[in-house]
Amino acid sequence: MTAALELSQVTAGYHIGEPVLKNITLRLERGEMVGILGPNGAGKTTLFRLATGLMQPARGEVRIFGEACRKLMPKRRAQLIGVAPQSLDGLIPFSVQELVAMSRSVWRSHPWQPSHAGNDQRAVDRALALTDMSDLRHRPLDALSGGERQRAIVAMAITRESPLLLLDEATSHLDMNHRLEIMQIVERLNREKGITVLMISHDINLSADFCHRILLLDHGALVADGTPSAVLRSELLEAVYHCDIAVSRDPQRGVITVNPARRLPSLPPETGVRCHVIGGGGSAGELLRRLTLSDYRVSCGVLNSGDTDELTATALDIATTTEKPFSSVSAGSLAAARRMAADCRICIIAGTPFGPGNLANLVIAEDIQQRGGHVLIMQGIERRDYTPAKQATKRVQSLLDKGAQAWKHTAQLMQQLAFITVSQ
Amino acid sequence: MTLQRSTWFFAILTGLIPVVFVFCLLTGSAGIPDLNTVTGHAILRMRLYRTLAALIVGSGLAGSGSVLQALLRNPLAEPYVLGISSGGALGAAIAILLGLGMVSIFAIPVAAFVGATLTLTLVYLLAGEQGIPSVHQLILSGVIVGAVVSSVLMFLISIAPTRGIHNIMWWMLGDLTVSSRPLLWAAAVLTGIGLLAIWYMAPSINAMTLGRDMAHHLGVRTGRTLLMGLAMATLMAAAAVSLAGIIGFVGLVVPHTVRRIIGPDHRRLIPGAALSGGLFLALCDTVARTIMAPRELPVGVMTALLGGPFFLAVLRRNRGQGFF
Repeated sequence: MTAALELSQVTAGYHIGEPVLKNITLRLERGEMVGILGPNGAGKTTLFRLATGLMQPARGEVRIFGEACRKLMPKRRAQLIGVAPQSLDGLIPFSVQELVAMSRSVWRSHPWQPSHAGNDQRAVDRALALTDMSDLRHRPLDALSGGERQRAIVAMAITRESPLLLLDEATSHLDMNHRLEIMQIVERLNREKGITVLMISHDINLSADFCHRILLLDHGALVADGTPSAVLRSELLEAVYHCDIAVSRDPQRGVITVNPARRLPSLPPETGVRCHVIGGGGSAGELLRRLTLSDYRVSCGVLNSGDTDELTATALDIATTTEKPFSSVSAGSLAAARRMAADCRICIIAGTPFGPGNLANLVIAEDIQQRGGHVLIMQGIERRDYTPAKQATKRVQSLLDKGAQAWKHTAQLMQQLAFITVSQ
Repeated sequence: MTLQRSTWFFAILTGLIPVVFVFCLLTGSAGIPDLNTVTGHAILRMRLYRTLAALIVGSGLAGSGSVLQALLRNPLAEPYVLGISSGGALGAAIAILLGLGMVSIFAIPVAAFVGATLTLTLVYLLAGEQGIPSVHQLILSGVIVGAVVSSVLMFLISIAPTRGIHNIMWWMLGDLTVSSRPLLWAAAVLTGIGLLAIWYMAPSINAMTLGRDMAHHLGVRTGRTLLMGLAMATLMAAAAVSLAGIIGFVGLVVPHTVRRIIGPDHRRLIPGAALSGGLFLALCDTVARTIMAPRELPVGVMTALLGGPFFLAVLRRNRGQGFF
């Protein structure tokens, strides 16, 4: 049997040479209920646009029930796919009922056939009743609240009874009760009528609860595909969402709950843990942002003024020692940075490349280690060491030998830091 | 509710057409014409053509406005405001000056269509750097392009032979006097084609008001609908301009009012607006002919006096939402 939706080696994007989705292969069997998860910019919307035929892939092919999406007649495509987009801008005030009937009209042989013909009217009434919109059927769209509008959109999508239903954040504006109701309607359509469902949601828990299968997208690639319990693992989510995530399972109901964990409780100003960051060239931007958010008292340097990291540090009010643009770290600025880091017990070395110009910065880390402080170094120094005779690698190795820790990504570093600060 | 209301609306409208028609024939600075005299016959014939022209032009402009508002998703869109009428006038003026009117009765409307199409394209391109321009950008761009096009038209008038200047001036203000009967028929045919085409497209136009993406999800061929709809709206505006010059705001006042009465469904709105537009312009013209009798006001002055405040009302309302 042909798949409901099939993407084979699809690459797609909005600008030439900047693919948003890279070589995605994916198969949705008939009757599946699948959720797409991923951080902002992961390519979820692009995948949605491909599946609905709003855009065509640069390479590869999208098939809907075995038919190439590219060749599908617009009307046939609309019959096969029911779509609930994120929002609907009702500039011209059609009433809810008119809109739902308009959506149902894709099954009519001719658009001019009257909209109140038996079967169609029943399907419209049913969709309105299911989405709790019957009382609001004569309201124009612009007189509805955000949640009511979203229910109208869902009513438009389900009234068609298309074999494939695509939902893009279809429940994001709904209150708890209506969110659950809408999801139950969708689940019922899936169970009773065998309608294949593909939903994009930022609500991980909702997807975990209702979907049989989860696709996890990151940077335009499919990083995980499987049952909710297989995909929703904290290490995988942490790597994708770049934050600490607690996954808990309710053994009785079998429900998976995913929660981002707060790194540190909010502290009064000027009481946070001091740490010094050695960065440069944009390598420490994310780190500086995270540390500031987690109430660390951060200093940074030596940076060349005008460096991306220096701009980030200034924007975040982080004390920074700077050197003239494109110059080597001078004795004077190094001394200033060492004074600045004198009260630090933690030094973080970001993934910045080292050359003869900034090699001197390692002295600050060595200082702190000598005073019994902690040094955390982003791994892979040998790949970013441009000093003659690999001096940076040697010095970092010696730091590591004396107890410095290596880190892989920011989320992991934040955990290591939390551990250090707690043990202090 | 809307269905019943629209049934009433169409019943009343259909009943009004012969009444208004007779009223327009019998009213004028010369009073009720005496059919026993040659002059009386001439006056009646003149009024007949004039009323026919008003019905054609009014329905075309109202139909054009309805479609432009829906497809450009802009409550202020209208042939005059978007500069389409001025563009059409320029095209028609060039055709007249080149003597193309002698070649075919369709030469002037076609030239107007070319001018109007080029203007709309220019307005659209100037308004939006990418994607769909905002309501105000589009109107601003339309007004500016319209002004430039009008001044080119003025330039042509100033260098043209003096003989026709009065006519052209009147034409720029909007004048329903029928100078050539074949042109009346040509405009009628083009307006008829345009109205039938957009009426046929009404379900697709309905979907397009929800935005291009949603229309796509509803199985509409969005590119084709947009292109055909805009072309037909421009064609009707061009036919109106060829026949009667620049008459503003009919395409704004009528669709908004009709939408308010029978709802936004274009399957009803397009015929409703076309019929009402014709009646509205016929009445406006009769008032313009008689209010300062024996002097005549250009009908464009009448519609602008009514339409200007209406435009402001829609503009103010637009800050909140958009369409009535």
